[in-house]
Amino acid sequence: MKSKSLRLFGYVRGAAALLVAFLVALVLIFLSTDEPLVALRYMLLGPAASWSKICRVLAYMIPITFTGLGTCIMFSANQFNLAGEGCISAGGFAGALVAIYCPMPTVLHQIVCILAGALIGGLIMLIPGFLKTKWGVSEMVVSLMLNYIILDVTMQFLTQNFADRSQGATMTFPYKSTAIIPKIFQGEQVSYGIFIAVAMAVLCWFFLYRTRWGYAIRMVGINKEFSQYSGIKVGAIIILCQVVGGILAGMGGVVTQLGYFSQYRWTALTGYGWDGITLAILAANNPIFIPVAAFFVAYLQYGCELMNTWTTVPVEMMDLISVVIFLFFAADQFLSGFRQKLVVRETQKELAEKAAQQARKGGEAHV
Amino acid sequence: MSNILSSILTTSFAASIIRIMVPILFAALAASITEKAGVVNIGLEGTMSLCALIAVTCAWKSGSTFVGVLGAIVLGILLSLMIGFFAFKFKTDIILCGIAVNTLGEGGAVLLLYLLTGSKGDTQTVMGAWSLPRVTIPVLSKIPVIGEIFFTNQSVLTYVAFLCVILVWILLYKTPLGIRIRAVGENDHAADSVGVGVYKIKYTSLILCGILCGMAGAYMSMSYMTMFSKGMIAGRGFIALAAQAMGRGEPVGVMLSSLLFGFAQALANYVKGTNLPARLVEALPYVVTILGITIYAISTYKRTRKIRAKQEKKAQKKAA
Repeated sequence: MKSKSLRLFGYVRGAAALLVAFLVALVLIFLSTDEPLVALRYMLLGPAASWSKICRVLAYMIPITFTGLGTCIMFSANQFNLAGEGCISAGGFAGALVAIYCPMPTVLHQIVCILAGALIGGLIMLIPGFLKTKWGVSEMVVSLMLNYIILDVTMQFLTQNFADRSQGATMTFPYKSTAIIPKIFQGEQVSYGIFIAVAMAVLCWFFLYRTRWGYAIRMVGINKEFSQYSGIKVGAIIILCQVVGGILAGMGGVVTQLGYFSQYRWTALTGYGWDGITLAILAANNPIFIPVAAFFVAYLQYGCELMNTWTTVPVEMMDLISVVIFLFFAADQFLSGFRQKLVVRETQKELAEKAAQQARKGGEAHV
Repeated sequence: MSNILSSILTTSFAASIIRIMVPILFAALAASITEKAGVVNIGLEGTMSLCALIAVTCAWKSGSTFVGVLGAIVLGILLSLMIGFFAFKFKTDIILCGIAVNTLGEGGAVLLLYLLTGSKGDTQTVMGAWSLPRVTIPVLSKIPVIGEIFFTNQSVLTYVAFLCVILVWILLYKTPLGIRIRAVGENDHAADSVGVGVYKIKYTSLILCGILCGMAGAYMSMSYMTMFSKGMIAGRGFIALAAQAMGRGEPVGVMLSSLLFGFAQALANYVKGTNLPARLVEALPYVVTILGITIYAISTYKRTRKIRAKQEKKAQKKAA
């Protein structure tokens, strides 16, 4: 009974956090434009205005679903590894090279590309995982540095070895047609990659909540010392969860590249890694909720882009919404007074019921 | 190779190292103080970015770069307090608070820039160029080589940064507040049990961190450059975290590791003009960071193992 009302409280608190986010956005919209209502309409209704716009939202869901899943698994073990940002670029680049230079029959080609991206992502994440396990190096600092290193290394290879010099901008040669992940609808931006993303969400949920390894990952996250004591190999689990996170981000990079672009052209960090963290917070580290959270964030992001295009409100509004989500959504004590009251009222009611029951019993006994 | 060496061994190259290391030094000192108090503040990057913008804005509004620095310091304090409020009061994970401030520094700064100037790039066109006074110290600048590197035509904040190394050391090791900060960081329950106000100390450490970050931001927009431009902090806040880890949070160690990063960055800047693989060299400071904190972690690991082995031996002897 108590747990039910507490779960309800969790939802109320989440809704309150989102409300705060919208209020902040509202204030800023009023500050930065003369026609706030038009801006609001673009932000909230714009992405649903046409079928092709909805498809764009779905397309934008793909990369962030992957980074979100990776972040979920790493955060579940309390590993604050922030290199999803870099791994999605590195994986995407590796997959792109396979897509350009290794001719193969279709289907097999996509699979090999995705595996190549996953491999690179996993290998990169071995570094922070191994350093953390072996000598206790902070995975956070290492992963932040890795993001910049990955960007520099991929750019070095891209500009020196693999660039298509006939193009004006920095990009590779086009992908072989056998490697392209086809679009679901002719002329719309969303590819079949969305199904891969959702399938991975289910798979990750199964991994985290229905397998021995997933259980170990969550145990390490809850209490490392106790896990050690109860015989879980904590070091191996810390490496495992980060490698899985890297694999997911790497896959995401490839699926995005082959489904959305026709050649590799990421010349800066993408920001998908940070979106992944927003998603993990919104989904409370449960992979099954990641696609929903991804839709929410993708919708808002596109809404902000539309608002940016048609009014004077900058697209960076989305960052402020993320900030409020970061601060309030994961806040344990946000609205704690309200929770306290709820628990007290609930308990009083129970006590009163018990007293009434006892009184009745007592009355019967007297008769 | 000799070509590179000869141009590295010049005073102008050394002076550029100093110029690059100053913001990192400020931020790394800031991180050291919070780290000693057991507060993990990864929001340095965002704090620096917003402070850099506010510094130029305040200077422009008031016409004085001094007010600019002051404005940056006030904002630095406010942002650090915000991290503290959410982390201690609302119990949001402090790393998420840091990420929030970094996101704010990235998007919020651009938003604010747009509201203030109508541009999303930089403040140059609207606010003009602002530069803190450059000072040449009379007698010291006459010392050969060193005088030319350290004491000639450096920004005021450069001297403040090196002064801060000494001040932070005094604060941490020679004052009652320093003892409390270290006690809280070492074991906050123990500190609490002897009557130290744990949260008061943690907030104090965050305020000090904010002051130093504010100066780092002001240096970026009014000395390193003469304006605020989007993305100008470029990971310096994160590098500062690494410098803090590598210098073990000791002011002098932090200064040396900042120097190392300054050197790596200056080298990368120099190599850009040659035929060496430029992007790979640009990755150098980050690779050095990872190597540095790993070497430090290994040395700590070995030391603790040695101590533990000794204790075990003693225990065995006693048992025998």
